[in-house]
Amino acid sequence: MKTKPVTLLALAIGLLALGAPLFAHHGSAAYENAKEVVLKNATVTKVNWGNPHTLVLFDVKDDKGNVVHWVAEAGAASAVSTTGWTKSAVQPGDVITVYLYQAKNGQPIGRASKVVLADGTTFGAGYLEGDRPSQCDKDFGPGGDEATACRPDGRKTTNKE
Amino acid sequence: MRHPLKYAVLGLLSALAVSSVIAAAQEPQNQNQPRKADEETGGPAPVHDLNGTWLGPGEPSLNNRVPAMTAEGQAKLKLNIPDPFSATSNDPWKTCDPFGMPRIVNNEIREIGFATMPDRIIILENYAKVWREVWTDGRPLPKNVGHKGGPSTMYFGYSVGHWEGDNTLVVDTVGMDDKTWVDRRGYPHSIDAHVIERYTRVDHNHMSMTETIDDPAYYTAPFVIAKADYRWIKGQDDPKVAVPFSNEYMCIPSEAIEYMKLVGTPADEDSATGEGSKVKK
Repeated sequence: MKTKPVTLLALAIGLLALGAPLFAHHGSAAYENAKEVVLKNATVTKVNWGNPHTLVLFDVKDDKGNVVHWVAEAGAASAVSTTGWTKSAVQPGDVITVYLYQAKNGQPIGRASKVVLADGTTFGAGYLEGDRPSQCDKDFGPGGDEATACRPDGRKTTNKE
Repeated sequence: MRHPLKYAVLGLLSALAVSSVIAAAQEPQNQNQPRKADEETGGPAPVHDLNGTWLGPGEPSLNNRVPAMTAEGQAKLKLNIPDPFSATSNDPWKTCDPFGMPRIVNNEIREIGFATMPDRIIILENYAKVWREVWTDGRPLPKNVGHKGGPSTMYFGYSVGHWEGDNTLVVDTVGMDDKTWVDRRGYPHSIDAHVIERYTRVDHNHMSMTETIDDPAYYTAPFVIAKADYRWIKGQDDPKVAVPFSNEYMCIPSEAIEYMKLVGTPADEDSATGEGSKVKK
């Protein structure tokens, strides 16, 4: 597969986006953000292209040879589209590599940072303007993910901690 | 003469939908790039004219200095648990229930549209794919909404609008259903709340918005809920621009439910008890 300039541009945007807070437009479950897990030989079983987040369901064998059913969440369809990912780009049966941050509670669920197809094509998790943590210490702060904490009762949702 | 009006509405909505698609095609990268400080003004703002589609910030700036709440307001606030993708939240967003007013103005505001008719201005809210009717023919707002003898409350309330000077549209809304939240943080409002939106077209390419609420039943003073800046989406008035795709960033009930089943709830469960995490105070 030849790499088109558009793809390279999309990839560049995607890589830049990886440095930004992902899906901060609303909450994400508690993930091990400091430890990226690489899952090779992942066989895609289903792709939920859409909102709020695009999901990739896939099977990977663990150390003991048991098949584990994983779910990885990326950005919304319109967000992952900015990295070149389209509805038909990843399909059931594809063998891919998934880079993700696993749920803290140990479930086979993760927040994907990227997926890599067999031919090396890479898609990022996506990012849209406005996806940014809010700042409660200012008179007016961006109303992103952590806006839940900007309340007089200091309420936070525990899945952020 | 209702039918011609209906067609006019449909025509305007169609035109806006198409221009929205064109806009998305024209500048998809804008959603991923911060605004440039020296961005061109496009010339002076036309008089009494917001017509067209505008790109928003995604989320606005929310006021973190909300005034003291009444006892009744505080009690209601405690009931609202934000974050639509946590297992224990009761955010209406979780099932894609209508944001309603005043939240529609300050949550997921990536795009907004205006279409002017002889007697009203239609505001098109892109994320929710809903439109609001803002009457500009001088009719009064209904009184006593939600109380005995008065009309019923509505998710989006009742709105009238007027112009201040050449470039500021002021929208007054009352009669909002108290099921809706003020914003994503879960601030409540009563059925007697009065909300004011002010849209000021600064120049041809820029518009600023402030949203204010006055709700003495729940808050001890009126306050600005949110502020946001919008910019004109270039190319929407050029019929030569191609239309390759539309950006459907929206809340879809079946997808939201599937997401919670596959990801939101299991990843939020306490691994020891298998129960959803409890909200701490």
